[in-house]
Amino acid sequence: MRLKTHVVPPVARVALSMIAASVAVSAAGAAEFDWTKFQGKTVTFLANNNPVSQALLAHKADFEKLTGITLKVDGYQEQQMRQRLVTVMNAHSDEVDVFMTLPSREGQQFAAAGWYADLASMAKGEAAPDYDTASLSQALLKAGTFDGKLTSMPMNIEGPILYYRTDIFKKCGLEQPATIRDVEAAAKKLKACDGGITPFVSRGLKPALPYTFSNMLHNIGGSYIANGKSNLCSPKGKEALETYSRLLRDYGPPGVVNYSFYQISALYRSGRAAMAFESSNELRTVMEGGERLKDTALIAFPAGEAGQVPTAIGWGMAVSAYSKQPDAAWYFVQWATSPAVQKMMAVQGIAPPRSSVASDPEYRKWIDEEPVRQQWQAALDVLAAKGSSEVGYPIVANPESREFIGQAVQDLILNQKPVDQACADADKGLDALIAQK
Amino acid sequence: MAGIADTLTQGLGRDRQRLELGALSGPAVLFTVAMIAFPLLYTIWLSFQSFSSTGKQSFAGLANYTKLVADNEFWHGLWVTIALYLLSLVLQLVFGVWLALVLFHARRLPGIVRSLFISPFMMPPVVAGMMWLVILDPSLGAANYILSALGLPPSDWLASPSWVIPTVALIDTWQWTPYVALIVLGGLQSLPPSVYEAAQIDGASGFKTFQRITLPLLLPTIVTATILRSVDLLRFFDIIYITTQGGPGNASNTLNIYGFRVGFEFFNIGYASALMLTLTAIVFGAVLAFNRLRGAVAW
Repeated sequence: MRLKTHVVPPVARVALSMIAASVAVSAAGAAEFDWTKFQGKTVTFLANNNPVSQALLAHKADFEKLTGITLKVDGYQEQQMRQRLVTVMNAHSDEVDVFMTLPSREGQQFAAAGWYADLASMAKGEAAPDYDTASLSQALLKAGTFDGKLTSMPMNIEGPILYYRTDIFKKCGLEQPATIRDVEAAAKKLKACDGGITPFVSRGLKPALPYTFSNMLHNIGGSYIANGKSNLCSPKGKEALETYSRLLRDYGPPGVVNYSFYQISALYRSGRAAMAFESSNELRTVMEGGERLKDTALIAFPAGEAGQVPTAIGWGMAVSAYSKQPDAAWYFVQWATSPAVQKMMAVQGIAPPRSSVASDPEYRKWIDEEPVRQQWQAALDVLAAKGSSEVGYPIVANPESREFIGQAVQDLILNQKPVDQACADADKGLDALIAQK
Repeated sequence: MAGIADTLTQGLGRDRQRLELGALSGPAVLFTVAMIAFPLLYTIWLSFQSFSSTGKQSFAGLANYTKLVADNEFWHGLWVTIALYLLSLVLQLVFGVWLALVLFHARRLPGIVRSLFISPFMMPPVVAGMMWLVILDPSLGAANYILSALGLPPSDWLASPSWVIPTVALIDTWQWTPYVALIVLGGLQSLPPSVYEAAQIDGASGFKTFQRITLPLLLPTIVTATILRSVDLLRFFDIIYITTQGGPGNASNTLNIYGFRVGFEFFNIGYASALMLTLTAIVFGAVLAFNRLRGAVAW
């Protein structure tokens, strides 16, 4: 699996290859691995209470039985988890041993702050024989590598994909869209063909929309930064801003500026949207109740002038640089990201970041049970092969950069500014962020 | 000699009394220092620090405060905070007094109905926010369904930059009007009946009685309710965070929401502390002003 990344410099990629090689050698050499080495210790895990951690923690008792380590779980919603982490890390506290992290969002920032322990050195010393690093998505490992330091192990792979209604497409004489222009043309035709349905829905909520907008920008051929400056006012940047906002303004639901995954899934599941551009993680929610199982098809977002450059990210597990027991913490990380555990999570709908799990017969059997699962996996394969982990600006202040992108898109959706002014205002704020050290 | 002995005994008694008082109040003083003074002083100290995106800290003097004066988002947040405060407060006082009068006069109202009237403020604001988010969803929500059933055009509610502040104010009014009503109801029950008897003998109408007797006598209670609601409304956070996160755009970005995002999403703790101290000063100012007003309207 190969994933483009705009975050990792070439020198870090070389370092990563060396890390991966040393981990693999070390793993092979560890003939007899003692899982009970840290028996009696307690490891604290700061978790985002999302489907990924829920699927993992369903097997918490297995870990405790295998290792004799007590796992203390500190679970919060995503934003609250970050608040807790920031407080703990700023105090250099050892309260948290392992935490969940999104390298695409906070990776640069946390790495620059020195909050991540280097997992490569841990994996080199203590890796179970079956911990097959080579089968983990190298792309996601790269996305979690900063300045040659491996900061997290991938737990899943995810990205925005297009869910669309085959029955409505058929009724309106439409084919599967192959390009972004096809998506817009289909939305236009759907609006005329069935006035009761929302033709297209995606994220309009300011901090949430860069996740889907980045896919549009990259497919069109745009980039966030050129020559050290924000690039939203470039022709491609403006085209992406206009296309994304036009799709939502002209063909989206009323109130789309407050839409994130929750509203999008609810609208699509209720049968009131013909196309939904939303996270692959929402498959389970969208299919709840089974109404959309037979009339939905899934594809990676159609190509723009630059082809398909889907957004592909994943949650990672990191060990705190302030943990007083990093080795015991690493035992939990390697168990949680091992092939066996990731296979158990995969059949619960968590897309595996390992090629060996994705091709595992048991997992394939689960996939083959429903055509929609096959399409889901096919879309994920495209994400893994062609994806970019760039969501927002590849800078330390990435979370803040998402605000400016979101504001520019919302200004256009709400017709509050012309595109030249919206992008110029965003570029001004973003240039200041890029200049920040 | 006896006088000196008495004086000494009295002096020793006073010292002992002081010691006892000190010992008894000591834990309370320590608790107050630990829970109020320390966080406040720490926040003041933080507001003079600068934090880089990576958490590196340095002394910044008044830089955070000068940045605040030049920050358009701060002034916008202040405007949103005040607009939301005034609108919500007026609605809650008007409906709160009305609801209190209804409950006061409808003495035979069954207990379950009374409980239903006051139930919204017992609901956690997060739950209330989620519930209204669903009701006000422009596509799937019940609110637009009712409007269309009545032949009225649909609204974007929380998704409209023009309607978001009135809509959030209405949600908060729905939740906190019963709280104001309970305070006012307490005030109504303590009013002297003799004044009403005199008004009745003089032939005052119901409206005149309310205007000339009930309302003036209730003013201290209403000011108390105003103080309590002011503290909450100026720090308005939970419902906005659940429903709009300050949007659309920055249309509902109150100072509290702005400070939270600066501190916990962008990790600029120094500037967030300056923002929050400014908000604290505004809240204190409002409370002091209303306290003086309460003194003026006391009877």
